Amino acid sequence: MSDSCSPDAGATASDTSLCHGLPADAKLSLTLLVVVVSGLIPLEHWPAQGLLLVAVFMALSLAGVTVRYLARRLALFLPALFVFGLSIPVASAEGLAWNWTLSLWLRCTVSFLAGLWLIHVLPLRELLSVLRRWHCPVVLIAMIGFMYRYVFILWDELRRLRSARDARDFGGASTWREWTISAQLIGLLLLRAMERAERTHRAMLARGWDGSIRSLDDDR
Amino acid sequence: MTEPAILELRCLSFRYPNGRLALRDISCRVASRERVAVVGPSGAGKSTLLMHCNGLLPSPPVQQDGEAQVFVNGIAVTKPHLRETRRQVGFLFQDPDDQLFCPTVRDDVAFGPLNLGLDQHEVLARVERGLASVGMSGFTARNPAELSTGERKRVCLAGVFACEPSVLVLDEPTSNLDPRARRQLLTILRAFAGTLLVATHDLDFVIDLCDRVLVLDDGQVQADGPTERILSDPLIMDRHGLEVPWRLRGR
Repeated sequence: MSDSCSPDAGATASDTSLCHGLPADAKLSLTLLVVVVSGLIPLEHWPAQGLLLVAVFMALSLAGVTVRYLARRLALFLPALFVFGLSIPVASAEGLAWNWTLSLWLRCTVSFLAGLWLIHVLPLRELLSVLRRWHCPVVLIAMIGFMYRYVFILWDELRRLRSARDARDFGGASTWREWTISAQLIGLLLLRAMERAERTHRAMLARGWDGSIRSLDDDR
Repeated sequence: MTEPAILELRCLSFRYPNGRLALRDISCRVASRERVAVVGPSGAGKSTLLMHCNGLLPSPPVQQDGEAQVFVNGIAVTKPHLRETRRQVGFLFQDPDDQLFCPTVRDDVAFGPLNLGLDQHEVLARVERGLASVGMSGFTARNPAELSTGERKRVCLAGVFACEPSVLVLDEPTSNLDPRARRQLLTILRAFAGTLLVATHDLDFVIDLCDRVLVLDDGQVQADGPTERILSDPLIMDRHGLEVPWRLRGR
């Protein structure tokens, strides 16, 4: 079953494009470079920020990211960013407040799109390998691995809960009641996630886990 | 003369923190290479019993005479010995998604051997052997989310086999499996040379795999004996919320 908001499986080994052919280290370095440069461009040089945005869009296009895919992701991200940016002029009476807001919107959008590009061109397994080579903390790498694994399971869980709700909804619930039920579903999902975390912890203990995270060398 | 037990429970009792008494005074011995099924109604304490074999629940209070209540190969399943007892007892969980927590099949199967402190060559050799033994050799780079339930279950087993346990403890191994996946699992488990302890509602699976059955109900062992004798006894089966399997009716 397709779902417009399902978690992104990210890049796969079968993807081919100019961007996909780059070395994994280069992909991650480029992404980090874009994020850092975007954050460092001074406020008054906003055209440079705009150029960076155009460059990221071009990279996304080269990577074969479709407009539909981009639009879906931006539809989730931009409203939250918009509201967050508005908090600056609301909280501050300074004349530069709106400039700060615009700058924040641009920088965050550039960084978000750069992240999307990375997800699209770098399979997670390769990302974890690069992080290991760069000597990132193993706990951080393990957490990314767990997150990638369990986001799909929790998504399936949520889908089942929603199906169970819809099966007994009969289309007659008011908007307020729908919101209430949705909040209950999210609470239930949280509880189930906690129960699963407990069971997973037991499964780790059963295979000798002692709190240290070990991994296979990537060059093997 | 009694055979030496690889797994022994001595007067095991366990109460959950919410006050529910899950196990009452359970004593039994499982000999090496024996295949034992634990059957009983839901809530009888089957999973709780299995988890004690691997030290996955808080250790029960040591008895007054100073003896622990669960032993694996003569070693008490208590905190100081958990590493050794868990090395000997492999545990297959009911839901494969609880057990497959790594982003790829290879990483997941390697998890146990890495925790055993083996070197990378040995770990990789065990990963290959483990996956080959369950017929999943070509799946190393796959994300477990892309696999079917049967395939996930087999990868879980590969992860357990990779630790080379002498006792295999299985909690509802056939749940959610289609007939083909169930048959594959049965073939794999028949080929396992060690001791098996299986908690299941699938009584046909028990007939095909196990030579001894423990009936657990209300936290107590209600019957213990050869598979066919226990499962074909309508009195025992009916009293404990079970049914005589079709294959054994009329015997």
